[in-house]
Parts: sequence; structure tokens; C-alpha cells
Amino acid sequence: MAALRKTIYLDNAATTFPKPREVLDEMIEVYSNLGVSPGRGSYDLSMEAEGRIMDIRREVCQFFGGSDPERVIFSYNATDALNTLIQGLIRPDFRVVSSRLEHNSVLRPLHYFSQQGIIRLDLIPFGSEGFIDPMAVAEAIQPDTSFVILTHASNVLGTVQPVERIGAICRKRGVPLLLDVTQTAGLLPIRMEDWGVSAVAFTGHKCLLGPTGIGGLVLSPDLDVRATRFGGTGRDSLSLVHTQVYPQRLEAGTVNVAGIFGLSAGLRYISRNGIERIYANELGLAKRLRDGLNSIKGVRVYPATLHDPWVPIMLCNVDGMDPEDLSSILDGDFGIAARAGLHCAPLVHDDLGTSPKGGVRFSLGPFNTDEDIDKVLEAMTSTTRAK
Amino acid sequence: MERTAQTAPARQELGERVRHIAGREITFDGEGFLWDPHQWSEDAAVALAGEAGLKDLSKTHWTILRFLREYYFQNGRSPLNRQIKEGTGISLMEMEALFPGGIKYGARRLAGLPNPRNCI
Repeated sequence: MAALRKTIYLDNAATTFPKPREVLDEMIEVYSNLGVSPGRGSYDLSMEAEGRIMDIRREVCQFFGGSDPERVIFSYNATDALNTLIQGLIRPDFRVVSSRLEHNSVLRPLHYFSQQGIIRLDLIPFGSEGFIDPMAVAEAIQPDTSFVILTHASNVLGTVQPVERIGAICRKRGVPLLLDVTQTAGLLPIRMEDWGVSAVAFTGHKCLLGPTGIGGLVLSPDLDVRATRFGGTGRDSLSLVHTQVYPQRLEAGTVNVAGIFGLSAGLRYISRNGIERIYANELGLAKRLRDGLNSIKGVRVYPATLHDPWVPIMLCNVDGMDPEDLSSILDGDFGIAARAGLHCAPLVHDDLGTSPKGGVRFSLGPFNTDEDIDKVLEAMTSTTRAK
Repeated sequence: MERTAQTAPARQELGERVRHIAGREITFDGEGFLWDPHQWSEDAAVALAGEAGLKDLSKTHWTILRFLREYYFQNGRSPLNRQIKEGTGISLMEMEALFPGGIKYGARRLAGLPNPRNCI
């Protein structure tokens, strides 16, 4: 198995790897004892599992600065959560404001509804340093804008968007702001209520250090999301109408119990180790990597200049080399796993001028070391010298 | 990720194109990869290499192309990066320099392997 060789893993923006041992141990331990259908029966185990999952909803709610644990909805990942949110809020003939920094998990559902003539879509550009101007959001909001949906941090550039300022604008204009926190949850504190954010969509398998297959939404009490999937919820079984009660309104079918336990274990790991400390460590390494890459002739880092705040994600290219080949060389010759291509964010690459082949993205995680950075810089130096 | 069988509309979307090369009809996708690795021949590889600006395929080129094909047909998938290096004894960096178009659009394409179409 490739994973058994010593790989310097720098694709943490896709999935953090490896997972902390204690997260996996705790997940297995809890699932071994409570891995039943939660809230689906009157026997003790089912009720205990439901109680434990409700406790985790409280943990998640607190972690994101929400106010109602019953408005914590579990999904399979951020894409699933965003689809639930977008499809549950879409109204014909309304406008939606988003940005060109978004991942396809936001762009594709919005594009679909726009192509179908159901909504009008306004995409805000980002500046040369990778940030959205809050004033551009203010200008884009029209009387018929139903919501604004933005990424908290670009999954290509790592730039963290001025959400507090945008949230204040949206609040003032009475338009819900929905935030995709896929790249920031677990690295930066998120205070959705304080920032005027009506919903966050998250995934568990990135910086929250949980397994794949678990994600979710945290909704503010004033945001009403229609159910777009229907089925068993463990309540009101006599009725053929899907329940309107949260969280089951948006959770048809049995939730990913093992994933939820893993998510909880990841949150505890972050709490024990300190979110600020984890972020500071990763950012320190990322800055070293970025400075080192910038000093290698023939390496182009995007954007050319970068200002805080950002999360430890960076994009680069080697002059005259296909990004997929660069990624193959780093992997095959140096044991470095980095992600080539468009990173499911095609408009970002369009605007950077890196389409259609994209670039190579390095994204750091909690287990990267100074030695990893040294090796990447050595590898990039050797690769560019050979060109 | 290896490409699986595609429906006709999907193939059309991927830019299917038929050409006559070295006495054979060969179907390519929009990026110049063969749809069917069985349509490949050494003559076709030489012709495609010439089109890419590579007048002669050296012994090293053939070592790489044959390894890629043998691995593909034995395992039903293309070799991993480290397996290419181990199997040929040639670094990926050298390989990138040897083929116009590099590893993916050079070596893999000339070997007639399906377009990997990784999630880019």
C-alpha cells in the first residue's frame, strides 16, 4: 500500500491525513458500544445513542457559535450540506449572490438553478490578492436577493474572506449570509451568530480531523430551510408527511453514527491541543514553504503577493511544466503528495490565468514538520534545475 | 482513476475523434488519448511521437512505453508513480524531460493508455 511508505502528505485541504490516533480509537470505542440506530427505538441502547448524538449536536453548535443545537444538521460532507441548504432555500425568480472564489459544491448547484432559469446568479470577483471586497457584496445585493453564499477561505489560495464585515452588510440589508467553512473549521474560531451568519456548512474530514462521510449544517433560528429529501426520521411515523421539526426535517434516514462519533473525537482533539496553537504551527510552516517557493527561480506562486489572513494552502507552478507532471514527479521521485489541477474551483483558475491545467496545491496539516518543508523545497529546487 | 466504459453522449462530450494512423483507424478523446488501448501499435506510437516533435524513439523511450503497457494489461490499471520509477529504473523527472508533453501527455499518451482524467 502506498500509504505505508513514508509520504510527505500535503493534500490536507482535500482530506487531512493521517488522523490523530486518539480520534480513531475513540471513534471505534464509542461505535463498538453505541453503534445502533439512534432515536429509532424505545430500548436503552437506541436512546443512549440518541442522547450521545444530541450531546454532539451541542458540541458542534458551540464550536461554530450557533445558538440552537437542534439546528445542527448532519450530512455526508460539505457538498451534501450545501446542496441541502441551497436547494432548501431556492425560490423562483430570486437572485443569489456568490463569488468566483467558490468551490464547485456551491457553484454547480447555483449554476444548475441559474441554467434552468429559476434564479439569477451574481458572482462577485476577487481582487489580485485573493480577497472579496465587502463593498462589492453590498453593491451586488438587490431587493430580490434571497441569500448570499460565500466561502470562508478559498480552497485554492487559502485567503480568508472578511466575513465579519460582509455579515454586517448582510444583516443590515436583511439578507441571510451562508458560509462554507470547509477550509477554516478546525483552524480558525467561527462565531456565526456574532458575525451575522445565518448558516455554516462544514465537513468533518478536513481540519476537524474526523473521518470522511460526515459533515453538516448549523442554522440560525431565523433561517427556514425546506426539506428536499424525505423518509424515515424515527418520529411521526403514522404520517406520510415528512416532519417539519429540526434537525430531522433535513436528516431523512439514519445518520452516519460512526462518522458523528469521529467528528466529536476530532473536536475534542482540537480543543485539547488548542485551535490557536494548531493554526499557528501550520501557518508558520506554510509561511516558510511559501517564502522558500518564492525564492526558487522558475517557480510561480499564486497570488504573487499575499496578505493575512490565510489558511495554510498555496498554489504554484513550475515554468514549462504540466502541473500533473509536477505532482507525479513530487510523488514518484520524492514521496510528496500534493494536488494538481483545478481543485474543483474552475473560476479561481480562470481568473488567475492558470486554466485549463491549473496548478499544484500544497496544503498543510497538523502533522507536517519543518523537515517536510525542507524536503519539499529541496524537491522543488531539483525539479526546476532539471528544466 | 482509470476511465470506465462511457456512453455515446459521454464520449461525444469528451471530444471523441477518429483518425487514420499507421494504417489503422484509431479513436482518440479530446486530449489525444486513445479510447481503446488495443488500437495501439508500435507504428502508431512512432507516428504520434513524430507529430509531437520526437523524430526517433530511443531504447529508453521504448523501455518506458513497454513497461506502461505491460503493467496496464497485467493489472487492469496504469501503474502508480512510484511503480513507474521502480519498474523502469528511470526517475519521473527524467521521464518528463524525455517526452515532448511530459509524463501524462507524452509518455502515457504515446503508450496508448486511457486518459487518466484525474479529478482536476
